[in-house]
Amino acid sequence: MEPEVVEAEIVLPTYLSFKRVQTYEKYPKGQSRGRHWKHLKQIIQSENYSNYPPDEPTYVSIESPPSMHPCKRICDITGFEAPYYDPRTKLRYANAEVFRTVRSLPNEYVQKYLAMRNAAVVLK
Amino acid sequence: MPFISQFQRQSDYNLFSPTTPIVIDNGASYFRIGWAGETEPRVVFRNIVQRPRHKVTGETVTIVGDHNPALMKYFDCTRSGPRSAFDSNVVYQFEIMEYILDFGFDRMGANGLEIDHPVLITECVCNPVQSRSKMAELLFETYGVPSIAFGVDAAFSYKYNQHHGVCNKDGLAMCPGFTTTHVIPFVDGEPVYKGCCRTNIGGYHVTDHLKQLLSLKYPYHLARFTWEKVEDLKMEHCYIAQDYASEAQLFRRGGKEAEEKTRCWQLPWVPPPTEEPPSEEEIARKAAIRERQGQRLREMAEAKRSSRINELENELHGLEFLLQQLDQVEESDIPSFLSDTGYVSKQEIESARAKVTQSLRKAKGEPKSDQAETERADSANSEKYSLINIPDETLTPEQLVEKKKQLALKSMSEGRQRSKQKRYEEEMQRERRLQLEEEKRLENPELYLEQLHAKYKDLSEKVDQRKRLKTNGNHTNGNNLSGGVGRGERLNAAQRERMRLLTTAAFDRGKGEDTFGARDEDWHLYKLMSRDNDDDDEGPDEDEAELARISSRLQDLDPTFVPKLDTGNAQSAEAVPRSRPLTKEDFQIIFGVERFRCPEILFNPNWIGVDQVGLDEMAGVSIRRLPDKDESLEERLTDSILVTGGSSVFPGMIKRLEAAIRMIRPCGSPIRVVRALDPVLDAWRGASAYASASLFHTQTFSRADYYEKGEDWLRGYQLKYTI
Repeated sequence: MEPEVVEAEIVLPTYLSFKRVQTYEKYPKGQSRGRHWKHLKQIIQSENYSNYPPDEPTYVSIESPPSMHPCKRICDITGFEAPYYDPRTKLRYANAEVFRTVRSLPNEYVQKYLAMRNAAVVLK
Repeated sequence: MPFISQFQRQSDYNLFSPTTPIVIDNGASYFRIGWAGETEPRVVFRNIVQRPRHKVTGETVTIVGDHNPALMKYFDCTRSGPRSAFDSNVVYQFEIMEYILDFGFDRMGANGLEIDHPVLITECVCNPVQSRSKMAELLFETYGVPSIAFGVDAAFSYKYNQHHGVCNKDGLAMCPGFTTTHVIPFVDGEPVYKGCCRTNIGGYHVTDHLKQLLSLKYPYHLARFTWEKVEDLKMEHCYIAQDYASEAQLFRRGGKEAEEKTRCWQLPWVPPPTEEPPSEEEIARKAAIRERQGQRLREMAEAKRSSRINELENELHGLEFLLQQLDQVEESDIPSFLSDTGYVSKQEIESARAKVTQSLRKAKGEPKSDQAETERADSANSEKYSLINIPDETLTPEQLVEKKKQLALKSMSEGRQRSKQKRYEEEMQRERRLQLEEEKRLENPELYLEQLHAKYKDLSEKVDQRKRLKTNGNHTNGNNLSGGVGRGERLNAAQRERMRLLTTAAFDRGKGEDTFGARDEDWHLYKLMSRDNDDDDEGPDEDEAELARISSRLQDLDPTFVPKLDTGNAQSAEAVPRSRPLTKEDFQIIFGVERFRCPEILFNPNWIGVDQVGLDEMAGVSIRRLPDKDESLEERLTDSILVTGGSSVFPGMIKRLEAAIRMIRPCGSPIRVVRALDPVLDAWRGASAYASASLFHTQTFSRADYYEKGEDWLRGYQLKYTI
């Protein structure tokens, strides 16, 4: 290793005296371990929150509800208030000038704009 | 930049007694570790791990946190990006968590056989028990920690500020963090998780939104928008608008105020070398050079001409002299006399003389006198074609040959005469037609114009149709302007037919007996296939010529007439963007609306597709969820709203929140929104102060407790914040 890399100690040493089990012992090299962790969704599922008393706060029950206020619609491109909606691209736009841009956008960009507010067409 | 990593290795680890707890604020963005009772964490670094390969040795190494980017050039990071142990705000990958804890303890200076200190570590509100138990297991089994306490970062921050008199014992803690935003109500100094609410939006989403917006706005500078850079931009420039609509309106109208609020990031740009316009002197010098060259060419041409004239004159003189001599010579001696001059007969010499005179005249620039020539030709005809009218029988074989020659010459000259005549007649006819048209026009100009227009339209349609057929074959789909540019579209009908024949010939094998070539017609196929067949350019045909004539006439007569352009060309010319030299402005990243549009998603999560209430409404939701409350408690809560967490440092946050909460609360209720003393570090400081309390050990649990009491107990484990 280069001297400056060693000096900065940016690489985590493999042996640390304060550990009871070293990382290389726990996760031996060359052994495929498969996936040994769960995503948050799977964690939540395995918690069986439905079995809990209803008034007990859980990770799921403290989640905020949807908003009661009417949704403010803004132009996907400029961020101004958007009274209009383009049925072809499904983008919201503020005025005729933006509309021209909207119509000249390639589909890829339209989808990226839509994806920002989670409204893109997802092909599975 | 508010966040600065510090990871120098501490040297005083062994000076602390085993009873001094280690305090860890394990946030989704930053990891902070230090000693209980101190006011600053010892080690702070970004909560990420990279596992790149060392380029020279090829071994996979582990790098925790963010380091000097200059050192990263020795590593190949293409296969692994920075990874976090967090999914949303819950720790789920404990292998990564282990690397992070390794690094944290190592930098704290730990060098014993185990971590012989109680640990207070933060977690999210209502952490799933699976994550909590895994964390406890990791700390107990791998590091040999004697006892652990889990607490909530926002609660520690609230307690810390409560101790400093910023907020009361009843109040709301609003904590917009990195991945999530929490609102936790406090009653009598204790958090009430029943009244808590969480929206899955935070600083991460703001940065991500800004990054996406900028990359869509400036696709050419995509590589500039790295995560770190955009994060810096967010912290430096983003702010929260007091009222989004009016702020946006301000930018929409433009004007001075909007200009002042617009920030501009100039990317490094080197102006291309400018070409200086040539000076007067230079122009004059160039003109002089050109003039000199022209002069020389003219002189050369003049010299050439004069030498040619000289030559021709000499030749003429020689020929004339020869003719004079010939007159004096006897008839019978002529052949012998001419043998050394290279001419055969007197006529030949005369014709040569005529030719030379003509060229001489041409060289001298005299006009060719056609009329005189024809007259002379007429007079000469009788003697030139002297043998034609004499019957064959009376002639000698030589004369017969001569007669044939004369006949051919005569027919040729007559043909020339005829074609000249014909051309003349055509000219006359056209003249007459034009005259006729002119008369018609004068008679009734409107009708004439109308007819002309109709004719133009007819013809142009016809020509268009022909063109379309030629390029598009039988596929008259009508919109060949916008149509695709597939292979079939590009070939014309003849070319396509050839392709078809070739393919059928290529694949027409093994269908019974091959009888190709048995009939003569089979061989025509090759003729059709040959490339000569597609004669693309037949030249402008009659219709096109007529069309051109009519359109020019219409242009003369009708000032409003615009000839129809070749649509295909016109469109392509419009579509191709004119390339221009890049300017400084092309390398500027302008933030206007983006400055407040991105943080606004904290208040309107549905702008990025998260269907939950925003920060302002969360206060209302939280109060509504709180069990057994009365009006006075509600008032006490809203009278002490503490805003903490990394995303609360946006300018304008407090004012906006106060206004927004005032809108959802009953009129006249007291509302006080305060910012934490240090929204970023207060959680660690609160935890540090908490862990240094004398009764802290009553809140921890040991390894034995963990294994004895089981998971159900761990789920119910909750710190008492008031001790």
